[in-house]
Amino acid sequence: MALEPVQGDFPLPPAPLAHDNAQPASQGRELLALLATMARDIGYPSAIRMLPGGFPASDVPAAALVATSRYLHDQLGFHLLSSIAGLDMLDYRQVVYHLNNLEHRWLLEMKVRVPESNEIDSVIGVWSGADPLERETYDLFGIVFAGHPDLRRILLDDEFEGFPLLKSFRQTPLAVHDHATTQVPPEQAIVGAEQRGVGAQRITPSHLSQVAIEHLHPGVSTFGDDQFHGHEFPPITWKHRPEYRGTGDNMYNGEEAPTPNTENK
Amino acid sequence: MATVNEAPRFQEDAEGMRGEEMILNMGPQHPSTHGVLRLVMNMEGETITRCTPVIGYLHRGMEKVLENRPYMGGIRYVDNSEYLSPMICETAYAGAVEQLMGISPPRRAQYIRLIVNEMQRIASHLVAVGTYLLDLGAFTPILYAFRDREGILELFEEVAGSRFTVNYMRVGGVLHDLPVGWLQRLETWLDTFEKNWHELDVLITGNEIFMTRTQGVGYIDPQEAVAFSLTGPILRASGVNWDLRVQRPYDAYREIAVRPVVREEGDCFARYMVRMYEMLESVRLIREAMAGLPGGPINTRTPIALRPPRGETYFAVEGSKGEYGIYLVSDGSEYPWRAKIRGASFSNLFILPELLRGNKMADVVAILGSIDLVLGEVDR
Repeated sequence: MALEPVQGDFPLPPAPLAHDNAQPASQGRELLALLATMARDIGYPSAIRMLPGGFPASDVPAAALVATSRYLHDQLGFHLLSSIAGLDMLDYRQVVYHLNNLEHRWLLEMKVRVPESNEIDSVIGVWSGADPLERETYDLFGIVFAGHPDLRRILLDDEFEGFPLLKSFRQTPLAVHDHATTQVPPEQAIVGAEQRGVGAQRITPSHLSQVAIEHLHPGVSTFGDDQFHGHEFPPITWKHRPEYRGTGDNMYNGEEAPTPNTENK
Repeated sequence: MATVNEAPRFQEDAEGMRGEEMILNMGPQHPSTHGVLRLVMNMEGETITRCTPVIGYLHRGMEKVLENRPYMGGIRYVDNSEYLSPMICETAYAGAVEQLMGISPPRRAQYIRLIVNEMQRIASHLVAVGTYLLDLGAFTPILYAFRDREGILELFEEVAGSRFTVNYMRVGGVLHDLPVGWLQRLETWLDTFEKNWHELDVLITGNEIFMTRTQGVGYIDPQEAVAFSLTGPILRASGVNWDLRVQRPYDAYREIAVRPVVREEGDCFARYMVRMYEMLESVRLIREAMAGLPGGPINTRTPIALRPPRGETYFAVEGSKGEYGIYLVSDGSEYPWRAKIRGASFSNLFILPELLRGNKMADVVAILGSIDLVLGEVDR
C-alpha cells in the first residue's frame, strides 16, 4: 500500500464514446435467434415475446430454469442479474428475472411459471447476487426456492404471518396485539379492545383494480351504483364491506365494534 | 427482518487453543450505518469471521402501496424509496409508465429531466462523500458538502415546490416549466460549485490519513462485482464500464453523450474518486443541456386517470447508487397490477458479508461508507 500522499493529479475520465445510440436492429434479431437456438438445445418450446421498450421476454418452464440460466450465463453472456420479481396472477404465480449482457447491452426478461408445489429451483449457483433477491421473493410471495442455503424472511419479522404481496392478502391490520409495548408505562398503555377499536376506525378499504374486483368478486358490477362493492358511497371502514361480514376470519365476526374504553385515560 | 440467534461458537486455532467467538452488533442505531441497518458480526479477536446484515427496519410495503394507487399517484411514493435522489426515482417510475403506454415526453421535458437528474446526482454524491469522511473521522468535509447541496435543494424548491419529496415528474413530462431566472441561478450555482469542488478535492484527496484508510481496503474484483449484481459507482470503481446512461441511454441521454467515470483499483478510494469525478461530469452534462435546452411543451397533456394497455415492461435508469429499475405489470385498469422496485442499494448491500470477512473491525466503517447505502431503497 502506497503511503505517499498523492496530490490531486489523477487521470481524467476516458474520452467521450462514439455515441452510437441507435441500436442496430440486427443485434436484436441476433439475440432472438440465439434464444430460439437455446430453447432448442435445452429442449422446450421457445416462447419469446417482445415487450414495450423493445426487449425480449422468454417464457421458461420451471423444470428447465437452472439449465436455461446456466446457458444464458455461460453461452450468451448474461452475467448481470438485475432483479427478481414475484408476480401473483391469482390462478398461478410467476417469477420474473431481468438479465443484462454487458458486452452487447442486451436486456432480457426470463419468466417462469411456478408449479403447483409452489417451489422452483434457486439460481444462486449461476448468479451469486440472486441470494437476497430470492429471499425477498420468498418473503413477500411465499415462493420457495429449492437449493437456497438460507431461505428465511428478509424484510418482515420472523413472526409475520402471510405473504403480503399476494392478492389474497388482507390489506387490514393483522397483528393487533393485546399487550402494550414496553415503551410506555402500563398505566398509560392503550390495550385490548380500545386499541382494536381505534385501529379499526383508522383503516380505509383498499381500492382493488377493476379487473381484480371482477376476478375476486365475480358477479359484482364495477360500474354505476355498484361501483363501490354494492354500496352507494365508498364504505367508511373495511368491516362494513359485506364480504368481511360473518365470514369468520375477521376480527369481530360481524358484531359491532367494541366502543373505545376511555376509563384508562 | 430476520433475527439472528446464534450461540457463540468455539474455534480451535493451530495450537489447539480455544478462543471464544464474539458476536458484535452494529446498529440498527449507529451513526455510520446511514439509517437503520444492523450488522451482526462474528469476531475472532479483531477479525471478522462472518457478517450478517439484518434489514427491514424501514420496510413500508411500498410495492403494495403502489398497487393501490393510480399510476400518477404512485410517482410521489417512489420518492421515498431512494430518498437521497427522489428526482431519479420519479424519472424511472414515470418512464416505466410511458414505456408501457408507448409515449415519449417532449424534448424540453427530457432536457429538464436530465438537468434535475444530474443535479440530484451531485446532491446524492455530496452526501455520500461528506458522510463518508465524517465516518472516517474528518468533520469538516460534510459542512462543505452540505453547503453546496443546500443550493441544489433551494433550486429544487423553486422548480418543484419542495426540497426532498419533489413530486415533479409526470407521466409524459414534468409538472411545471422552469421558473423565470432559474437557469441563471443554476448557472451561478454551477460556477460556485466548480470552485467548491476543487476546494473539497484539495481538502480530501491526497490527505495521508484518508489515503491510508481507504487505499487497498475493501477490494472488489470485476467478476465478483458483476456476479453480485453490483451497479453504479461501485461497479465502475471495479473497472467495469457499465453506466445505463451510456450503454442503454434513455430520454435526453440519447442526445447528450456521457463520459463514464471508470477506475480500475476496486477499493474504497476508487469508489470515492468515481463519485467525485461523476460530480464534475454531471456539471458538464448540466451545462450542455442548458446550452441546448429546446423550447416547446413540457408535457404531453396526459390525463390524470391513466389506463395503460395490458402488458408488462421494465425500465431502469442510472441512479446515483446504481441501477434503479421499475418493473410494471398492467391489467388495463387505473392501478398497476404489480410494481416492483429494483433498488441498487439492496443488491449492493449484500456484497458486505463477502467484503468484510477477514477484515478488521476498524475497516468496517470505511467499507460500509464506501458502498453508500440508502436504507429506504434497501427496505422499500
